[in-house]
Amino acid sequence: MLTIDKRFINLLRWDLRFQARYGFYLLYVLLTVFYTLVLFAIPGSWKEKTAAMLIFSDPAAMGLFFMGAIVLLEKSQKVTSYFAITPMKAREYVWSKVLSLSAISLVVATILATVAGYTAIFPLLVGTFLASAIFTLCGIIVATKISSLNQFILATVPIEIIGFVPAILHIFGVTGSIADRLYPANVCMDMIMGDRPFAAGLLLTVALIALLLQVACRSVLKMWQEQGGVKL
Amino acid sequence: MSAAQTGTLHIPKVRKKDMRAIQISFLHMLKFMKKDMMLLAAGLSPLLMGAAIRLGIPAIDKALRSFTGLSQILGPYYSLFDIFYSAITPSMFCFVAAMVMLEERDDHIDRYLFVTDLGKRGYYISRIVIPALVAFVISAVLLPIFRLAVSSFAMILFLSFSGTLQGIIIALLVVNISSNKLEGMALTKCASLMMLGAMGPYFIERPSSHILFFMPSYWTGLVITEGRAIYVLPTVLVSVIWIVILSCGKFRRYT
Repeated sequence: MLTIDKRFINLLRWDLRFQARYGFYLLYVLLTVFYTLVLFAIPGSWKEKTAAMLIFSDPAAMGLFFMGAIVLLEKSQKVTSYFAITPMKAREYVWSKVLSLSAISLVVATILATVAGYTAIFPLLVGTFLASAIFTLCGIIVATKISSLNQFILATVPIEIIGFVPAILHIFGVTGSIADRLYPANVCMDMIMGDRPFAAGLLLTVALIALLLQVACRSVLKMWQEQGGVKL
Repeated sequence: MSAAQTGTLHIPKVRKKDMRAIQISFLHMLKFMKKDMMLLAAGLSPLLMGAAIRLGIPAIDKALRSFTGLSQILGPYYSLFDIFYSAITPSMFCFVAAMVMLEERDDHIDRYLFVTDLGKRGYYISRIVIPALVAFVISAVLLPIFRLAVSSFAMILFLSFSGTLQGIIIALLVVNISSNKLEGMALTKCASLMMLGAMGPYFIERPSSHILFFMPSYWTGLVITEGRAIYVLPTVLVSVIWIVILSCGKFRRYT
């Protein structure tokens, strides 16, 4: 058990270093400065909703945007071939990706929320983490099945539409039925806005994450087992 | 045979060979994109985005006006939507090409192409300049159909041209500063902010807005909001400076 924990921590540390080396932190410093300027420039009444949209569509969804490039780079560097022959579990690989990307999301979300004058930071952090987990897991599932960046970008468009459009409409109250508050993207958005979500909605969101986690682990394992056209 | 005669005989032959290599390289990229379905997506999305802007924005504006009772909400910004639309098509074409270039770099294909007849210059022409020219033509054809505010032929040509220059800058930024596809994706996010400079003249008072002077789109916005042709000059000048700096970086990187 202790060995597995140490392995996971090493993996997580490696992922964090990997993201730092390829400029993720620098990028999000720049984007956070830019978003902060935007939040300062807009009228006070718009700040909260704008910050919620920015948090949900960027730091929370960064896994969906970057996962294709991360996995493809690992494939081209043959890192996934080494993973296939180590004792590492697919679940550890997936959790490491989710947690390392969520860390950036949570820091950026906290800064933007503070600038926008949010008081309910805890629900915001939970909502951002849940949204980040959903988007990162979707990103991993798609990334394991593609062979080029353009394929990844195209394949994630439907996920972006399903994820973003209802949540943004939900902010503006365009949709208002109880069913809307059960939709996982809307649950995350409610929490990012500092509202208390429906318990059933929260349960449904956690169930969705558990399901996506299973699918992501299977997809990663399949990707590891099919290296260079050879099935291990 | 004199040297001059030799030169006149040789130069067209070499150029023809180069052009053939560039043409093959471009067609190769199209095949690659076709395999990924990106060609279809890149072809359809300007039409879909144009239809969404042409039909969607006035409808949203009308709904917002009746909802709030205000006389104008989005109306004053229709020309801003035109600027964005004219930049989105070239940026998307150049972005798709940049993604192909990043793939080729990570797979070490580009350096093999450099030592063929194509060369570095030919490679960049086939991957960035030709897609940008195609995007310029498409933008110039579609903008009159889907425009919301700009009406003059000269303005449509200018917007298409400045959008194309921005597309080239975004592609060069992504390809030349990043060393792999992951850094490329990160840079794409940053580079796409270049388009937002057009919002400066609409939302920031002068002279504070001049802080965005380094963004070509800022000057494009000024051409539209101020209605003065003199701002065409800085639009082109700032774009050319970006392209020259990034192009120099490109050649340093591979030598």
